Amino acid sequence: MSIRIVIKYLGVVLAILGALLCFPLFWSLAVAHDGVHASFLIPACIALLGGLSLFRFFPVEKRSLSLREGLALVTCTWVVGSVVGAIPYVISGTLPSFVDAFFETMSGFTTTGATVLTAIGHQPPSILLWRNFSQWIGGMGIITFFVALFPMFGVGAARLFEAEMPGPQPERLRARVVDTARALWLLYVAFSLIEFALLWLVARLPFYDSMNIMFGTMPTGGFLHLQQSLGAYVDSPFVTTVVTFFMLAAGVNFALYFYALRRRQAGALLGNPEFRLYAGIFLISSGVIAFDLVSRTGMTVGRAIQHATFQVASIQTTTGFATADFDLWPALSKGFLLVLMVIGACAGSTGGGLKVVRLLVVFRYAFRQVVVAFSPRSVMPLKLGGETVPEAMVSAIAGMAVLYVLALAAGFLCMSALGLDVVTALSSVAACVGNVGPGLGAVGPARDYAFIPGVGKLVLAGLMLVGRLEFVTVMALVSPSFWHWR
Amino acid sequence: MYIVVVGAGSTGFYVASLLSREKQEIVVVEQDEEVAERVRRELDVGVVVGNAATPRILWQAEVQRADLVVAVTGVDESNMITCFMAKELGAKKTIARVRNPEYSGYLLVGGKSPYAPRKVIRPKGLGVDLFVNPEIEAAREIVSILSGLYATPMEEFADGRVQLREFRAESAAVVGKRIPDIPFPRPCVVAMLGRGEEMGVPEADARVEKGDRLYLIAARKDMDELGAIFEAPLRSPRTVVIFGGGTIGFNVAEALEKRGVRVKPMEKNPARCQEISSKLKRAVVIQGGRPDRELLVDEGVAHADAFVGATGDESLNILAGLVARDVGVSRNIVVVDEPDYIQLAEAVGVDVAMSPLLLCGSRIAHYVLHGGAGSVALLGNEDAQAIEFLVAPNARISMHSVSELEWPKQAILGAIVRGDAILVPTSTTVIEPGDTVIVAALLDEVAGVERLFKAP
Repeated sequence: MSIRIVIKYLGVVLAILGALLCFPLFWSLAVAHDGVHASFLIPACIALLGGLSLFRFFPVEKRSLSLREGLALVTCTWVVGSVVGAIPYVISGTLPSFVDAFFETMSGFTTTGATVLTAIGHQPPSILLWRNFSQWIGGMGIITFFVALFPMFGVGAARLFEAEMPGPQPERLRARVVDTARALWLLYVAFSLIEFALLWLVARLPFYDSMNIMFGTMPTGGFLHLQQSLGAYVDSPFVTTVVTFFMLAAGVNFALYFYALRRRQAGALLGNPEFRLYAGIFLISSGVIAFDLVSRTGMTVGRAIQHATFQVASIQTTTGFATADFDLWPALSKGFLLVLMVIGACAGSTGGGLKVVRLLVVFRYAFRQVVVAFSPRSVMPLKLGGETVPEAMVSAIAGMAVLYVLALAAGFLCMSALGLDVVTALSSVAACVGNVGPGLGAVGPARDYAFIPGVGKLVLAGLMLVGRLEFVTVMALVSPSFWHWR
Repeated sequence: MYIVVVGAGSTGFYVASLLSREKQEIVVVEQDEEVAERVRRELDVGVVVGNAATPRILWQAEVQRADLVVAVTGVDESNMITCFMAKELGAKKTIARVRNPEYSGYLLVGGKSPYAPRKVIRPKGLGVDLFVNPEIEAAREIVSILSGLYATPMEEFADGRVQLREFRAESAAVVGKRIPDIPFPRPCVVAMLGRGEEMGVPEADARVEKGDRLYLIAARKDMDELGAIFEAPLRSPRTVVIFGGGTIGFNVAEALEKRGVRVKPMEKNPARCQEISSKLKRAVVIQGGRPDRELLVDEGVAHADAFVGATGDESLNILAGLVARDVGVSRNIVVVDEPDYIQLAEAVGVDVAMSPLLLCGSRIAHYVLHGGAGSVALLGNEDAQAIEFLVAPNARISMHSVSELEWPKQAILGAIVRGDAILVPTSTTVIEPGDTVIVAALLDEVAGVERLFKAP
């Protein structure tokens, strides 16, 4: 394990980040004229120059990345990226405290959407654009983006890609990792453009609004430039329906789209067991919540369906948009939403959470234990869609589920120690590990994370990262044996 | 290009890694889950687990859009069936590794000279476009090295009129000199300079150090004279000891015997000893599997002109080569499997270490890159290639000299064959349509060189 090689490649990451910072810089100078261009120019220059010189002048031996270096690079990328991405908030004065700015950026890159920004309506448009754009970059994965653009990582690219993609075993769509990353990004960009076109051209939303909504939807992020989130468009069912649809679309394994398009048959998508369960969860949860809203709050049926489908899609895909303050909804609805936060979206999507396929495997695993209890001689391989799941993967998934629950518990204890009430502590941790964003109680959709003490923000930011990279990548770095015998 | 490699044994793994380094799209089909996992971990290729001799698995590997299928499992029959079925499903070209020469119709050594063209009588209808046989290739290479005047390997281009030969810098005429100052008796190009693990096109005034490997490109008639400044020419061996009576050992023995060399094969397995001794005409076969010093001395190895280590065990071959050298054999050639061990073996005192894998890989790479046109040779430890191009009238490089074009840094023009003449080019030599050009380049730059030989 050579730290030098990690630093060298971090240089590339930095340089690209610098280039990406030019987008809000351009917006500030040419479109918004909000006078905060310096807050983009400074970090962009530092990142571009520093990154390029690290890459150019940092001598390392020429070879591809080892497994350990790959894991270290992925984690470092997300942390360093968040540090650099936080600079504009600090310089512009939007978030003077660095911890706040770091929390906000990490929340953006990990597509969580938990915010500490209080008066969103009064912030410079280019800062808000950066806030939304950062989620879009993080959506399909920062490293995946670099792998797609620059085929320089060689064989190491496969490791980086696998360390970053969500899901038990990332599928290789194409033989080469570079092609796979490109295919994924192409699908992602295509979906983004379609949603943007629908909002801008069909729904006639302003350019800036359509772009920002798209930047929040496709990566299942949740940041928006509006104080009331999508509550501002509650009277436009077309907009909420489009957003609902694209949130759901972003929560599906992108590999399925690839196969469905390539083989020109929808069966690859519709027949997938994970997709079916995902759709089932969506239909049942929105049905129950709509019914709950109508019977308990006296909402009209149409409105209840609109709110319920939107909110279930938003929480299930771990986006975190809100059309209403669901914290005020009846207990059953809130309970459903809290459970959905933990389950999350499909593997290989831009969403977070435990992932539907893991739930499926863990359930079947548990069911098998029950059968074995009364029929010890039965041989029951675990099957998904007609294919046996290797036992090694079953145990990996079970291990990941346990880690997930442990992280929830540890985070919950931490937040309780900081004085948060039970509902707030639990939901804030679930919302951050699952990359959802808004929780319940004091971190509900109508409020924010600003009141949480600095330590709590750092813990939550760490949980977002751990949740986004699905534990193993980050946990490897903190396990002592990773550093022995390097 | 989309290539399906069937079988991830040492040959398949090597071929897949070589081709994936050249940025081709590759899928490896392998039956063993553990081996497949290793491929998944170490190479940037797609992996399909299953028996490739079934249409279901071939579909899964999308063989119908494959430009090339390379079947290199350990079983001849399985390779041939895979190729047959892949062809039926729509694969463009197929290569099969077939060890049993009776299937592929190999006529091992056609004439007395190793340069004579081999007659290949191929069975038609099997769907196999190219049979490769690493063992036979290795045997041929050994015979060719043994019959040359120098101990080092050689590659041929332009129907054998141009040669590329590796020399070790040991003599005072070369060591410590800058390349322009070396008194080459004949015109030639120093295409590559290898030092330890490193290899590259030498700078114009690079200084040669002791132990460097120089890759010279020159006309064949000049090569022997050029070689004299590196080492004293060897005489052709009259007696050769061959350690190991497997396919390689037997074929070397047979070919050498035909050319009037006295051979003494040594083999561990008594039954195999019987078999080869009945097939060979005069050779006395010795039964013995350990490279004992005593055994070697007793059998007169010390007085042999050359020693060939060709058992199936690479470490045993290297060891035997060293013992033979210690006993007093002047030339030793050993067979290793792992291409990485070649340099190691040569560093400890083996004259030439060769890997059947490397030969097989270079055959396949040649086929992939150039569809069978021109020749291709892999140089050194698979880091560089020498390629033969025929210059088309509309090629980018046509009617230009190297200095006028964006010539890749780590590539060098080695020779130009124009009509009957062989020119040793400089950077201002104008390349004409119809020329045959030999270029040496590092693997990463090959694509850049190829671009220059295509139409703009």
